[in-house]
Amino acid sequence: MVPSEIEPSSPGTLVLSRADESDHRFANLRSIRWRLNLGVIPSSSSSIDELRRATANSRRGYALLRRRLLMNPHLLKDDRDLPTLFIDNPLSQNPDSTWGQFFRNAELEKALDQDLSRLYPEQWCYFQAPGCQGMLRRILLLWCLKYPEYGYRQGMHELLAPLLYVLHVDIMRLSQVRKDYEDYFTDRFDSLSFEEKDISYTFDFNKFMDSMDNDEISSQGYSKKIKTLDELDPEVQSIVMLSDSYGAEGELGSVLSEKFMEHDAYCMFDALMSGTNGCVAMASFFGYSPAKGSHTGLPPVLEACTAFYRLLAVVDSSLHSHLVELGVEPQYFGLRWLRVLFGREISLQGLLLVWDEIFLADNSTRTFTDDDEHNGNNMFKVFVCPRGALLSGMAVSMILYLRSSLLSTENATCCLQRLLNFPEDFDLDKIIQKAKWLQGFVLDVNVRSALSSSVPARTKSVPSGSTSPLFVTPESYWEEKWRLLRKAEEEERQMSPSTQKKKRWLKVTKLIREVTDLSRFRRRSVLEGISQNISSNTEEEATECPVTVSKENTPTQETEEGSMGFHTADEESVKSGEESSSVYSDPTSLVRDSNDSDSSTASNLSLDENHNSVDSLSAENSHVSLEPTSPEARDCSTNLDQQTCVDSPLPISPHSRNENQVTQSKEEDSTDESVSIITKEHKLLTGIFQWFLKCRRSFSSEESKENQVDCYSESHTQALSSPNGDSDSNLMKTLKNLGQSMLEHIQVIELIFRQEPGLVQGGLIRNIDKTKFIEKGQATATTALKELRKISHLLSDM
Amino acid sequence: MVLVLALGDLHVPHRAADLPPKFKSMLVPGKIQHIICTGNLCIKEIHDYLKTICPDLHIVRGEFDEDARYPDTKTLTIGQFKLGLCHGHQVIPWGDLDSLAMLQRQLDVDIFVTGHTHQFTAYKHEGGVVINPGSATGAYSSINHDVNPSFVLMDIDGLRVVVYVYELIDGEVKVDKIDFKKASTSTSAP
Repeated sequence: MVPSEIEPSSPGTLVLSRADESDHRFANLRSIRWRLNLGVIPSSSSSIDELRRATANSRRGYALLRRRLLMNPHLLKDDRDLPTLFIDNPLSQNPDSTWGQFFRNAELEKALDQDLSRLYPEQWCYFQAPGCQGMLRRILLLWCLKYPEYGYRQGMHELLAPLLYVLHVDIMRLSQVRKDYEDYFTDRFDSLSFEEKDISYTFDFNKFMDSMDNDEISSQGYSKKIKTLDELDPEVQSIVMLSDSYGAEGELGSVLSEKFMEHDAYCMFDALMSGTNGCVAMASFFGYSPAKGSHTGLPPVLEACTAFYRLLAVVDSSLHSHLVELGVEPQYFGLRWLRVLFGREISLQGLLLVWDEIFLADNSTRTFTDDDEHNGNNMFKVFVCPRGALLSGMAVSMILYLRSSLLSTENATCCLQRLLNFPEDFDLDKIIQKAKWLQGFVLDVNVRSALSSSVPARTKSVPSGSTSPLFVTPESYWEEKWRLLRKAEEEERQMSPSTQKKKRWLKVTKLIREVTDLSRFRRRSVLEGISQNISSNTEEEATECPVTVSKENTPTQETEEGSMGFHTADEESVKSGEESSSVYSDPTSLVRDSNDSDSSTASNLSLDENHNSVDSLSAENSHVSLEPTSPEARDCSTNLDQQTCVDSPLPISPHSRNENQVTQSKEEDSTDESVSIITKEHKLLTGIFQWFLKCRRSFSSEESKENQVDCYSESHTQALSSPNGDSDSNLMKTLKNLGQSMLEHIQVIELIFRQEPGLVQGGLIRNIDKTKFIEKGQATATTALKELRKISHLLSDM
Repeated sequence: MVLVLALGDLHVPHRAADLPPKFKSMLVPGKIQHIICTGNLCIKEIHDYLKTICPDLHIVRGEFDEDARYPDTKTLTIGQFKLGLCHGHQVIPWGDLDSLAMLQRQLDVDIFVTGHTHQFTAYKHEGGVVINPGSATGAYSSINHDVNPSFVLMDIDGLRVVVYVYELIDGEVKVDKIDFKKASTSTSAP
């Protein structure tokens, strides 16, 4: 059976962590590696002969079992002894009768067939072939008969199928090697000749080529090519020696053998299920009774589920608490994950890599020192051995992969849907690495107290030794939004790269817009108006203009803080906010337009005051940059062309209105200091936004760097990895610095606000109305600061 | 591994109330793939009961059957074997092997199942088998008043059939077995 749809997997990209010198022989032979790891072949055996003997023993065991359990009633002795006949007739109710056994087997087989017929439909041509199905059926039947206490549970077939597949792949490899290196397989003796001086019957692996039959060359004249096995690379050498029919134990010992695939698969399956005296026995995951010695009193699989939830709580308590609040119990999805070792979540090729790692992990129980014995008793069984720890780590890392989408859902069914329909394309390597880190984390001595099952679930204790890797996990809501936006981008790859980039950056600005939107709806916020102004400033993309505007802002701020026309100012900023939102939605449609309007917008830009950098702007930017925010220009903004939009009055008009209110009230003595500081902050924030947009400008203007945004988002998602390209790294550094400085300044602003109550209570502000506004303003301002803080996190994470 | 149950001549409710409880306990659904019935059930309730044991029920008309729609003879093929079914009151003398063999040749079957005599018999004859499962309820017949309840279970496996005979003798179920191998799957030889 040639699996035409399946390609044999290339050796996994993950390096085998065990520096075993024999492993290099089996780098490509997964079945042998797995047999060693699972314990089918004791890992102490290193020589070829030992391997062969171990294989032969395991196979003998299976053959015996098969003979004993698979019965054909017809093959029974044919005597007409009445008592036995009374027992052994087909309708006998006697439980001992062979016919009864036959019927029970038939029922079991029916249950098996139901599952097997649905096995791996995507690799249909291999797994649904009758020979393969027959083997699977027999193996499962015999295992269930051998362990009647477990019986057959759905999922066992999915554990068995990859084992068989792996054996099959190796057989394919063997046949390929046979074809390539025919000379070394000494199955054919017809044309072999022996050295005269060979007293002992040593196999030099000489092969007389077809020269014997060859008419042209006589045997004497033909120069014997003495080929020794040593000439081959170790892997092929090992393949040859392992599958030699005349090595130790003969055919039964031939480690890679098609004849004994069933035997090998059974042995591997048995080892996997029984855990070979380790602590993680897959069979226990199918049972419902609590394991003996477990102090939680739960069935092993539930215990394992609670264990990895505990690990999640320790590693990422916010996600854990979110899931617990929604009522998402770990066993809803954990049962499937653990019972089939993630077979349903990951495709076959990826699954093989995951299982490589799982089997590599040692299954023996770790021994603890004396004073930790106390704790050792409280540990989840799963955490006690590396393999169990890796399983929990894998589960947690998969949950963390979905972190942002899980945090964004508000009901349990959505969460479960996301968890149960794991996305198809994901970076398996990353998840495995994270899982391995979590495995180390679990096994770390310091952590065990936190992971002990007697500690209440929502513990927030994080051990001391490991802080930096935790940065890998947390992802904010903004990052999730970013990722969603990026996915939307990938759907529109048909668009030209320039427009792509435009769109991406538009979406970046959308993010900023959302921040401002959030603040927009919080009325009576000082910073809201300020941030609106800033965003309107950024839209203009003038380096100097906002500076001038901010200067204008200072008088406005002085008034705004205590102005009676506060609500009108809010309305103003609200309008401008609405403007910006409507306008931001426009650019996406703008982008689709041809660049015809670019020139017009460029001309519009030139209308702005002090637009020195207009010429350096690329045409695309002008689309985005020209979001008119004044109420007058609202109509213009809705037009796609924006031909008639006039920008110049824009920055002035809202401020002019504010200035009107300036005249209305003038007592701002006490707040001057805070205002001055605030103005500094605003300048900085505007500066930051300028930077941001400059970077965007530089990005979109360079058509060649198409992968920058990908780098951007990649480096965004992989917080630890450095982006490609010098300019990119510089950019990232600047963005990071920006983020950090933003953060610092935000902190300063918060400090100010905390100081303000003192000012208020001091009665330094004359107007009592103003105090009320100020108090309300502080509350909303702090929330707006939080939003800005998030942005700064975003930037610093980049 | 096809299990075929052959029984008949129950004469419920006229001559017997029901199958013996020991037989009933053995006849559980799910094990048997076909039922062939020689007739004289007589009522529909027995027909339904047999249907619960196995949905594939073949029945021929006995003289006391209340359902007149059953055929007089029937042939079916199970595995490599051809089975023939007839109640037997049509064949005179009743229970005579040669006459039955004539009907068997007419129907061209390997296994010929008849009833009416309420007596279990099984003959190997001319490369075929003639089986009489007797009366499953032990109802009396016109010939015989002391009848042991009996029925037959055939295990057809390839070219071999194993006939298990279940008889209730003195309140105990006794089982006996007969092996029969078909010569080959060649076309019928004259």
